[in-house]
Amino acid sequence: MSTDTLEGAGLLVRPRPPLLGRMWRGGLQGSEWTWAIAFTVPYIALFLAFVAYPVAFGAWLGRDPSLYFELAEDPIFQRTIVNTILYVGIAVNLKMFGALLLSGFFMRRGWWVKGLLLVFVLPWAMPALPAFISIHWMLNGEWGLFNNFLFNVFGIEGPGWLDTSRWLALGAVITSHIWKWMPFWTVILLAGRMAIPQELYEAAEVDGATGLTRFTHVTFPLLANLYLVCTLLSTIFTLGDFNSVYFVSGGGPALSTHVLATLGIRDAFEVARPELGVATVLTALPLMIPLVLILMRKLRTTEVTL
Amino acid sequence: MNKLGRRVVLRGSVGLAAAGTFASPYIARAQAKTASVLWVQGFVKEEDEAFQNLVAAYEKASGNKIDYSLIPFGPAMQKIVAGLTSGDTPDIMFHDIADQAVVPQNTWNDKLIDVSDIVETQKDKFHPTALLASKYYNNVTKQRGFTYVPVKCGVLPFHVWNSMVEKAGFKLADAPKTWDAFWDFFKPMQKKLRETQRNVYVHGLQPTTNGPADGNNTFHHFLIANGGNGIVSPDGEAHLDDPQVKEAVIKSLTYITTSYKEGYVPPGALGWSDADDNNAFHAKQIVMDLDGTISTEVAMIHEKEKYDDAITLKLPNDNAGQPMRAELGAAGAFIAKSAKNVAVAKDFLKYVIQPDNLNLYLKTGLGRWLPPMPHLVKEDPFWLKQDPHRTAYATEGMIDPTVPNYPCFNPGYAEVNAQQVWGIAVADVVKDGMTVQAATDKALKRISTILAKYPVTRS
Repeated sequence: MSTDTLEGAGLLVRPRPPLLGRMWRGGLQGSEWTWAIAFTVPYIALFLAFVAYPVAFGAWLGRDPSLYFELAEDPIFQRTIVNTILYVGIAVNLKMFGALLLSGFFMRRGWWVKGLLLVFVLPWAMPALPAFISIHWMLNGEWGLFNNFLFNVFGIEGPGWLDTSRWLALGAVITSHIWKWMPFWTVILLAGRMAIPQELYEAAEVDGATGLTRFTHVTFPLLANLYLVCTLLSTIFTLGDFNSVYFVSGGGPALSTHVLATLGIRDAFEVARPELGVATVLTALPLMIPLVLILMRKLRTTEVTL
Repeated sequence: MNKLGRRVVLRGSVGLAAAGTFASPYIARAQAKTASVLWVQGFVKEEDEAFQNLVAAYEKASGNKIDYSLIPFGPAMQKIVAGLTSGDTPDIMFHDIADQAVVPQNTWNDKLIDVSDIVETQKDKFHPTALLASKYYNNVTKQRGFTYVPVKCGVLPFHVWNSMVEKAGFKLADAPKTWDAFWDFFKPMQKKLRETQRNVYVHGLQPTTNGPADGNNTFHHFLIANGGNGIVSPDGEAHLDDPQVKEAVIKSLTYITTSYKEGYVPPGALGWSDADDNNAFHAKQIVMDLDGTISTEVAMIHEKEKYDDAITLKLPNDNAGQPMRAELGAAGAFIAKSAKNVAVAKDFLKYVIQPDNLNLYLKTGLGRWLPPMPHLVKEDPFWLKQDPHRTAYATEGMIDPTVPNYPCFNPGYAEVNAQQVWGIAVADVVKDGMTVQAATDKALKRISTILAKYPVTRS
């Protein structure tokens, strides 16, 4: 290997690789580059094996356009699209708005508020499956806890919550989802509220802003970006939520409360047509991709304080 | 101490990779006598013990090894479907409802190995209906062939709480001998029973859209009882425009939906899973239940009072007064083309279906499933003489007339079952107020659309 000698310094200097090579190697040289490769290869391999390959395999399974025509003609799929929109739209917005209000409540001082917060977050801390299965049994029209309570206390025969009405069943699913996940978002927004400097409130108070005015002029503008990011994240999570629907209503009655996530699994494993199941789930992409893009843009925003 | 440098690491990695590459053929050869098996877990622990005994006996006799996984009903189906999709399958796969849910479609798609050499070893001993259930249509070869090895069979008997019938002032011996009249016999009991028990129902009907099997099985029995068995003929052709079939569908839907609307069926039955009727029966919330196998009774085998109080009844005659044909399900095994150790897999299955092995396996499993060989039932007193539940069950399944599940005639019917077309038809009437005629037309049209994707007879 040839070397050059810097005049007067007596230092050996290796010839610099071409600019393109340097850029490709991120400024690393010699063994640094080799070690960098050695350390990153396992992660790249894992990413390829467990992220890239499954996604590509799924896309390959759902590549046949006829699957989408078949879905479009399927009355259960059409109903599922409506359910998904209703489920995500209602559940996410009610949950996030409730979380916003409750986070304000939990900002109050007092030991009993902290105690209440502890109880409030329990549904979130509880394992999802037993919780949803319990709800399913509690809502049993004939022998469930709710209807037994109504009968024993008020002498009323309660409705078949999950038995015959699509709207009651969908309502039960949405309520269960909110019950389970609102505490999580409440805690996130509570953390956001706690990060707002107290001085701002003091200044606002001097200017005469109290109560609702203080919320609309100080709290909400500062929480707005966090609220939006949380709503986008929650929308993405809820769009892929399987447990709430599957374990509360089971997609019933008569397959009337399926959402894309549960119908995809049904088509893949109960109908035993994995390609149709993948196609079902892939139909959520036109909604999912814009959401992810907006989320990424929002996360890059640096101007907003919270 | 040697320094762990870059070159040492790289050389070591290359060395390991090379050793793995050269050693792999020897590892593969060492495993050539092993077959991997996915088998469905039993309803009671005795069924699993029976399978483990069977495996141990085979390993001892053959010197081969069986690497098995006992997996619950639902997850087993998911693993089978996922394996067949990815091409990474165990050598043998077994499922209780494979004849309805996975073998028809995968034979159609040419993904399964021909197992006629296994079936042939006992062909003369198999029940004719079980043999029908082992042959499926391949859309690549355009032929029917054996791709399924029947291991055990099941039918749907009636399960009745005798004490509830007597409490209502009736005697089971007085039950009529034809289908609709038999169901009607229970209706007057409900009023009497409700004097002391809230929310008790007489009909364990399962008009469910959840699956996988009970809702379809229930409807098919009504269809057969009303003369609609010819909805799909053995050549695979559907007869959806046949007036007799259409009339049978209408009569079946009418009976089921009327019973539901009149309040003889638990409203939640519309969303029951396959286990929910068993739970309701065990809790004495329903007086009778039409359900597959005698798992209902076997689950109570250690509670003598309950076991004796439950009565198992074989099917009454159909509505024309003729002996009713029960739908005989065949649980069995199959081998995917992606299997690696086919020779051992086939050898094991040949061992499993040897009559004595099969009989011992199913008897150890408490007789929840029937052997697919009538001579075993007739010759071994265990099946027809020692227990009243097994007597009724085995008589219905192995002595009385039976029909196979329709997917063995046309693989498209497996998708009809999976789409729960009949459960949806019931829901259309009881939930959405559709007329029976309209629900019938809608269901038959849907079946026609699905079956059009599987042109068996036109091939």
